[in-house]
Amino acid sequence: MKLRILLADDHEIVRRGLCSLLQKHEGWEICGEASDGREALEMAKRLKPDVVIIDIGMPSLNGLDTTRQLMQHDPQFKVIVLTITDSDQVIREALDAGARGFVLKSDAARDLVSAVEALQSKRMFFTPRVNDLVLAGFLDKGHIVARNEAPSLPTLTVREREITQLLAEGKSSKEVATLLNLSTKTVETHRSNIMRKLSLHSIRDLVVYAIKNNIIQIQMPAQMHSPAETPVA
Amino acid sequence: MQQRRNENSMAVRILLVDDHPIVRQGLRTLLQGRGDWEVVGEASDGMEAVEKVESLQPDVVVLDVTMPRMNGLEACRLIQQKHKNAGLEVLFVTQHDSPQMMREALDAGARGYVVKSNAARDLLEAVESVSQHRVFTALARSPQASG
Repeated sequence: MKLRILLADDHEIVRRGLCSLLQKHEGWEICGEASDGREALEMAKRLKPDVVIIDIGMPSLNGLDTTRQLMQHDPQFKVIVLTITDSDQVIREALDAGARGFVLKSDAARDLVSAVEALQSKRMFFTPRVNDLVLAGFLDKGHIVARNEAPSLPTLTVREREITQLLAEGKSSKEVATLLNLSTKTVETHRSNIMRKLSLHSIRDLVVYAIKNNIIQIQMPAQMHSPAETPVA
Repeated sequence: MQQRRNENSMAVRILLVDDHPIVRQGLRTLLQGRGDWEVVGEASDGMEAVEKVESLQPDVVVLDVTMPRMNGLEACRLIQQKHKNAGLEVLFVTQHDSPQMMREALDAGARGYVVKSNAARDLLEAVESVSQHRVFTALARSPQASG
């Protein structure tokens, strides 16, 4: 029986590359492709893939929140997170969200097959930078995550995080309500709660918060390039 | 040294330049459907692109903007300086969905500009156009080709 893989990335060109890479492997098949987190959730629940490969920086619902929701729905899901950055915060959030694999997009051509093989064998796979962090965590404190650094995101509920992303992407309360099948009044109540919890005073503050906490990602100008910040697409 | 095509019957020789191998793979997959096009090489930054243009003599360079060591705009300017009358064309495929960046790219000497999020939609038409020395520019919602 073939190993069924679901791909989620908002750029078709990247999905083409990933498909081409993974389909060379005998015994694997791409059972579906999603272009945002919301579509990935729906497809994962319907198709029940063996492995889900999720880009972090997707519109509508980012990859970390998609992973959180998938794991809440069924902890048996095996998720590999694809990311453009290996910052400590993103690594910690990916591990907390329940990802069993963590691969840098820039290394995907080299590492992704190994990552899928690892998950297929019920092991985990992390890019070397993550392995270092995990090892350092064990040596230092006996924990993977520095728990004394309280993550800023878990103060929000899953629904509040979804709404935070959509508002930060520029959607109005009415548009968010339509997208999430809620009333505008309910969205506005969530919005007030989010602002209060995070001590924010404007949408501008909310956008800054969303960027700082990897809920949305921004495009870097060409002259400001550094390898760790290069969006893949 | 390889040779650029000089007759219509010869394949269009394409160099792919992007710092992410998986994106290059995606571009290659899109282009390989055309029997009259040939991907002759790949480069992962602007500096390598300039070198490979020298050695591979492609007809079309598909170039990313944001790359390490040397960005695509700088590479495009250098390539155009060195190969001004050689018939070589540069097509940008980039994440930057902005008229300003498109203007900079065209000012640098590019003949085409495509946004990565729409590459699957626009790339083939763009390569077709620029390989015939026609301008092709497409921001996210507005593909446009002109002679």
